[in-house]
Amino acid sequence: MTTKVLICDDSSFARKQMKRALPPEWEVDVSFAGDGVEGLEQIRQGNGEVVFLDLTMPNLDGYGVLEVIRKEDLPAMVLVVSGDIQPDAQERVRKLGAMAFIKKPIDADKARTVLTEYGILTEA
Amino acid sequence: MSSVSLSEDQRDCYQELTNVAMGQAADRLARLLDAYVVLPVPKVNLIESSELHMAIQDAEADAAVSAVCQGFIGAGIAGEAMLLFNDTSFSDLATLMNYPGMNNPESLDREAELELLMDVSSLLIGACIQGIGEQLEIHFNQGHPVVLGQHCLAGDILKSGNHQWTKTLAIEIHYTLEHVNIDCDLLLLFTEDSVEKLNNVIDFLLD
Repeated sequence: MTTKVLICDDSSFARKQMKRALPPEWEVDVSFAGDGVEGLEQIRQGNGEVVFLDLTMPNLDGYGVLEVIRKEDLPAMVLVVSGDIQPDAQERVRKLGAMAFIKKPIDADKARTVLTEYGILTEA
Repeated sequence: MSSVSLSEDQRDCYQELTNVAMGQAADRLARLLDAYVVLPVPKVNLIESSELHMAIQDAEADAAVSAVCQGFIGAGIAGEAMLLFNDTSFSDLATLMNYPGMNNPESLDREAELELLMDVSSLLIGACIQGIGEQLEIHFNQGHPVVLGQHCLAGDILKSGNHQWTKTLAIEIHYTLEHVNIDCDLLLLFTEDSVEKLNNVIDFLLD
């Protein structure tokens, strides 16, 4: 079954890095968003079953996206991928309902570990 | 030599690399001070070194600052990091660091301020330089920190730089802390000769 994955980050380099880090055997349909507003649009269209979400973004930041997802009860499993790794940031996103917090820079090992830990990626 | 340039993709990449490195530095500062560091989007620009003061858009040129700079070099890439610390930040910094014998932060003397300045600058500069280096897989050696001045005008400090290169890649990070009055500017300046090499490394990452 193909999983709809959304990568939401204002940096095109970071989006590319994130896509490259996804396990090659994972069957996914990847969409991209450059800020929180675009991200929510994609999630509402059903393109974000699993969302890799950056925190610092223009228009609407990652915290804002998490708040809307919770308020509207949108179907999205959110994994925050952030350069802001301060204890406060990690605590705040967990309280807002993010499943996991991944420290940038992302790489294939980190992505695989988290996806396996939360049962998103199951061993074939 | 005047052919150095910066594409939008390259700028985006420098911004993202800096974003990660400054986040690591902020994390260390946040843990040291038990406070939350507000992280802005870093500014990346290719500028004439005579126009260095224009790199600082947030800090006013007439703000009183104390400043430290520290050179770094590795894999043929060289530059210097400069920390401009707003003088009004010292009393809150002393309080957060439980500075010994500081019952009255208003009475900080120049020597105590210097010690605080060196502590913060070595933490922020070190973490940022190493953070960028790790992502580029370059080990940067850091030189000794040099105090550029205490209680000077930011504009004067930036004008006094004796740089041998004309164009420079300038990355500006404006750090502020939540709920307390601490703010500083960290500038990373890469030499003109380094920009081409750096761009090659960046292009490899972008490929």
